Amino acid sequence: MANYSASEKAFLGLNHAQVFVYVLMTVISILFLFITNAYLFRMNFQDWAPLPIPTLLWFNTICLLLASIGMAWSKSGAKSQDHQKTKVGLAIAGVFAIAFVSGQTWAWQELNVSGYFLSSNPANTFFYLITALHAFHVLGGLVAWFMVTLKAFKGDETMLRSESVGLLGAYWHYMLLVWGVLFAMLITT
Amino acid sequence: MDQNSATYEGQQMYDPKGWWDTYVFSQDHKVIALQYVCVALAIGLTGMFLSLLMRMQLGFPGLFESIDAGSYYQDVTMHGMIMVIYLLTALFLGGFGNYLIPLMLGCRDMAFPFVNMLSFWMYFLSVIILVASFFVESGPTGAGWTLYPPQSILEGTPGADGAGIILMLASLAVFIVAFTMGGLNYITTVLQSRAKGMTLMRMPLIIWCIFLATFLGLLAFPALLVGAIMLIFDRVLETSFFMPEIFKGGEVLDYGGGSPVLFQHLFWFFGHPEVYIIALPAFGIISELISVHARKNIFGYNMMVWALIAIAGIAFIVWAHHMYVAGMNPYLGFFFATTTLIIAVPTAIKVYNWVLTLWNANIKMTVPMLYCLAFLVTFLNGGLTGLFLGNVAVDVPLSDTYFVVGHFHMVMAVSPVLALFGGLYHWYPSVTGRMLDDTLGKIHFWITFVGTYLIYFPMHYIGFLGVPRRYYSNEQYDFIPQSVADLNQFITICALIVGAAQFILLYNFIKSYYKGAIAPKNPWGACTLEWQTLESPPGHGNWGEQLPVVYRWPYEYGLPEATADFVPQNVPDEQIT
Repeated sequence: MANYSASEKAFLGLNHAQVFVYVLMTVISILFLFITNAYLFRMNFQDWAPLPIPTLLWFNTICLLLASIGMAWSKSGAKSQDHQKTKVGLAIAGVFAIAFVSGQTWAWQELNVSGYFLSSNPANTFFYLITALHAFHVLGGLVAWFMVTLKAFKGDETMLRSESVGLLGAYWHYMLLVWGVLFAMLITT
Repeated sequence: MDQNSATYEGQQMYDPKGWWDTYVFSQDHKVIALQYVCVALAIGLTGMFLSLLMRMQLGFPGLFESIDAGSYYQDVTMHGMIMVIYLLTALFLGGFGNYLIPLMLGCRDMAFPFVNMLSFWMYFLSVIILVASFFVESGPTGAGWTLYPPQSILEGTPGADGAGIILMLASLAVFIVAFTMGGLNYITTVLQSRAKGMTLMRMPLIIWCIFLATFLGLLAFPALLVGAIMLIFDRVLETSFFMPEIFKGGEVLDYGGGSPVLFQHLFWFFGHPEVYIIALPAFGIISELISVHARKNIFGYNMMVWALIAIAGIAFIVWAHHMYVAGMNPYLGFFFATTTLIIAVPTAIKVYNWVLTLWNANIKMTVPMLYCLAFLVTFLNGGLTGLFLGNVAVDVPLSDTYFVVGHFHMVMAVSPVLALFGGLYHWYPSVTGRMLDDTLGKIHFWITFVGTYLIYFPMHYIGFLGVPRRYYSNEQYDFIPQSVADLNQFITICALIVGAAQFILLYNFIKSYYKGAIAPKNPWGACTLEWQTLESPPGHGNWGEQLPVVYRWPYEYGLPEATADFVPQNVPDEQIT
């Protein structure tokens, strides 16, 4: 529908949704920048007692990686106009993202059972807060995923185009990247 | 395609069905702008009322028995929070931003009208949560608008043991979500939806200002969000992000090890850009008004844009000048003092350019122009006292005195509000199709302008005397002379008069809406696109069948080959008569 002839050239050749999502990612990056800053600042205080990172988190990381691969698969399907491949990719991406979030809640429970409560040490509080904030953003992505996938499976062609899938995929890769940085920080400090 | 949408040239439009769609859950940027303005002005009046309560206590201590120390601090806190965030930020970006961006850029609506609507309703929700805190047991928080822990969440501070502080923080979080939705929309619209020919360097300065202020907001609000979430954790779950070891009545509380200064850093990393989130749109309004009402092109457009960009950039590295007295490393203080003084340079460039725009201009003493001139003087005043406070050695003795209150209100309260009033007088005809009453406008202006000087100028002197700010009562201190009490009475009387004068503006709004003179299509003779719409006031979709095409910059005044003293942006060279 877009016919930009009546307007100035689009910024860097991007469409509306791309600008929206990319700027949103910048804002989210700033959010995580602050929380990691606060983490690195607070960890120098005497009462900081790092908690053991549950092994489950490695498994969750693999889930998130697979979700990202699903998105890449879906995008390559959209590029070659292979609807089946696109849909399968979308499904994989969603299922593994859900698995990731579920795995994170499981990890919280494990920690809780072993006595690492949220308020017993600042390291614990930060761990819960950071992982929860990240999971919350993955959940936000899943809402978008749900709408795109629902429409795609109902046969809405616009959702199967590489711009839509690609943008969703960009968010997935971005969430993986953010998780990678956060996870690296959590296990090394 | 959606059944409710019609396609005009190039853009899909959402057509409202029925009254609710048109006036309540509207996706039209003009309606959303009005909604923002109305809610912001309503909550702003509440904020003004709170300030008058404070003034009553300071001018006439003990006159109202209902004002005790606790409620005084609650008034102070809520006044600050409401004015800075819920009035000025919302009104400048949500109100002016929403109204002007699509109209001035020549597009039909925001890039994402639905998200835009959500943005307003989230804002509305945040205001409701804020107001709700007045009605909970023990009332709203009285921690001061900076909400510094540990005091803000410890028993004994008003609102800390009840839900007051939680509602405050929750309201801020919702506001930030609302702002982010709106902000993403403004950014996308400015970058993507400009009419043909509207290059970035042909955008009116106010759009540049709103655009950059939005960027500042998007990058600064996350700091506040993180701080607010962590403070909620400390308050509700008894974690210790910010809470040091605290003894109460000889007993150790559950808290321990946290850093209150960490909160200050997070707060001011947001707090200082927030100054510019408010100041930049005010600069923008002044730039538009001064050029239109002086019938002269703005001096140094490119320099203005680059100065804005410089201000927006430097705004992120000055925050700790709010924390000189927090026990900071002197070298750090030196760094922040330097950046603070540097940011005065691009700001001064802007002031010079406004003054040079007025030089030899055909100045029309309209109400908007009066507000512009008042802004220039006030902003200069407030800015100069800012240079005092930017230096560590001067700030340390003055920081906790009324000097800061005077400086802050001059630069960040009176100046933006003057710009705001100027903007309201200027664009009212575009919104309603009628002119505001000129005489009422001038009466309102003179009372407000002179009155605010009588309120805030004496505060500088009180500050020099060393009278501490934040004190509920000055009565028991030997070092505070009687003259301060007299001056405080005088200030309070002035504040009451200025407060009452704001109802002249409200009356003017309502009266002119029904009985004002019918405004011609472009009453001020402006070049910008919002005055060049087919219908006036502009209808849904703004431009009828065809989008405008832009041929020139927005300040084409006094072109020798034209008979009129201005040429609108959408008039090509060959059509100039």
